[in-house]
Amino acid sequence: MTTGNLPFLPMTSVGSFPKPDYLKRARTQAYKGEIRERKLRELEERATKEWIHFQEEIGIDILVDGEMYRGDMVTYFAETLKGFEISGLVRSYGNRYYRKPVVVDEVKRAKPMTVEWYQFAQKLTKKPVKGMLTGPYTIMDWSFNEFYSDRRELTLALAEVIHEEVVDLEKAGAQYIQIDEPAVSVRPEELPLAVEAMGIVTKGIKAKTLTHICYGDFEKIYPGMLDIPVDHIDLELSNSDFNLMELFKKYPFTKEIGLGVVDVHSHVLESKEEVKRRIKQALTVFKPEQIYVDPDCGLKTREVQEAKDKLRVIAEAVKELRKELAPSGSFKN
Amino acid sequence: MLKVTTVSHYPKIGDTFEEQILRRSLGQLDRKEIDASQLERIKDEVTRTAIEEQIEAGVEVVTDGQIRWQDPLTYILGQIKGISLKGLLRYFDTNTFYRQPICEAKLEAPESLVVKDFQFANALSSKPLKALLTGPYTLAKHIQDKHYGNLEALATALAEILGEETKRLAQKGCEIVQFDEPAILNFKKDFPIFKKVWTKLAGSFPEGIETILFLNYGNLQGLYPQILEIPVTTIGLDYAGQSENKRVLKKGFSKKLIAGIVDARNTKMETEEELQSKLEELLQIVSAEDLSVSPNYGLEFLPRENARKKLANLSKVVREFREAKVKV
Repeated sequence: MTTGNLPFLPMTSVGSFPKPDYLKRARTQAYKGEIRERKLRELEERATKEWIHFQEEIGIDILVDGEMYRGDMVTYFAETLKGFEISGLVRSYGNRYYRKPVVVDEVKRAKPMTVEWYQFAQKLTKKPVKGMLTGPYTIMDWSFNEFYSDRRELTLALAEVIHEEVVDLEKAGAQYIQIDEPAVSVRPEELPLAVEAMGIVTKGIKAKTLTHICYGDFEKIYPGMLDIPVDHIDLELSNSDFNLMELFKKYPFTKEIGLGVVDVHSHVLESKEEVKRRIKQALTVFKPEQIYVDPDCGLKTREVQEAKDKLRVIAEAVKELRKELAPSGSFKN
Repeated sequence: MLKVTTVSHYPKIGDTFEEQILRRSLGQLDRKEIDASQLERIKDEVTRTAIEEQIEAGVEVVTDGQIRWQDPLTYILGQIKGISLKGLLRYFDTNTFYRQPICEAKLEAPESLVVKDFQFANALSSKPLKALLTGPYTLAKHIQDKHYGNLEALATALAEILGEETKRLAQKGCEIVQFDEPAILNFKKDFPIFKKVWTKLAGSFPEGIETILFLNYGNLQGLYPQILEIPVTTIGLDYAGQSENKRVLKKGFSKKLIAGIVDARNTKMETEEELQSKLEELLQIVSAEDLSVSPNYGLEFLPRENARKKLANLSKVVREFREAKVKV
């Protein structure tokens, strides 16, 4: 695994960032046919650059492209893969709606889906940028299925196409490839299916593989979720006041952990002290070299400024902790 | 006589500009371009649309579409003193969320929870409209309790509040109240508590009112026939996504039955044959007099267009079935 040197408590992000207003407007205009694809693309690139620069500026160690080109973490893939149509709007929470993919035919990958964006973002920085994908189980769970006979058949078909994408990202140079499976926590009885599917996705991959899981009853899938064949699991912890720590004391967490230290669904900005307290609490349960620090989840539902403030507070907290606690030099490799 | 009904929520928005008025208005409220009372009028209008669309699609006992409900828990619990709402949690196996209700003091109900909504919606509807509540057990099971000390005490407090609400609904002309109790199918061991709480609740039911215990997000395996001991007139269940229910249901079903034979969690359309054969099966268990059919969940999991199609399809099949098979 050649992931380069990382400092004590490396900082990263879960994936999405909010789109700046000019990009939101442009997306609406593009949807209505008022501006061309090319213009939209220019603005997506501009926003990506801005986010890369911001992450560099505050000292994030493993960067994300912010997913400026995606509407939604499942719909984007469904729009790019063959075999899907897109439904009308359905509600997820509050006033948030999404278009749910509908599987109407055999699922196939016509072309790489994220490689170009990965390359674009990676060229902007010397720090590693993560390849960002959504996992087969989650795409299945968040889609209507009018074609495959059951959930398992669809999941395994999707695992094959996501594997193709992982291979291409690795070829393109990605050192970290994150395959998000937020839906995994929902139906404990289907965890073995998610594990089997991830096995197909990450088979033979040398890059560091990560997955992000959120919004569920972790108690029901822990420690079973440690069977998911990835190197690193990223968890949302702040949202639940870190009450999973007892569980981790009981069954040691055997992988690297992405430690969500700010709540992404609250306008309230955590204080630096609160973030430090959360990290210190985690340090009583995990080995320091296991821990990466990030927000609970993608920040796309926050305003740009709120997202920046939340990232900044993480960066400030981590920098202080590095001074207070760190052994000298970097030790992760 | 073999009726078509809906069971809880209806899509709040659709895909046309006009159909998205609620979504836009919530944005306008955020930007302070409209005020809360203007938003209430928009919700009234969307409620009207939800009722009209159900009736147009052939539904014979409708709901108000729960346009004001964010989720099945917090619309009710948010109105009750003693409850505060915290972080976001997933509702069962759906991709929808609710805020964690926390009980920190004795519960105190407001003057009413859904009576005003019922009155408004009922006045708009040319078809019977049922009031919707989430049951005391399911509410209690989702609450982080810091006051009552045990589930039964908390659920009983909620049962008292819901019992009073049922009485008020009846006073305002409500003839059917549906209580959603999905949690009991996920925690079957709690059945003795569930039964006690429900016996308490049913003690408040006014004479002559139809009460529905609606049970989805699971199956009745292990709870049948005990579930028939719950003092309600009608039991509703998922007869589309839960194949276990078919095995469990037996002749001698001693209550009215609402069978959710249309899958509200998938856009795949049911074929006429599929629905017809389910009707045949169900008529082995209860008489046509005592049977209603519905989607297995509220329709908010579907885009509005698909919801309309599914309802229209169900109504068509039922109409034809009635004409062909059920001779009076």
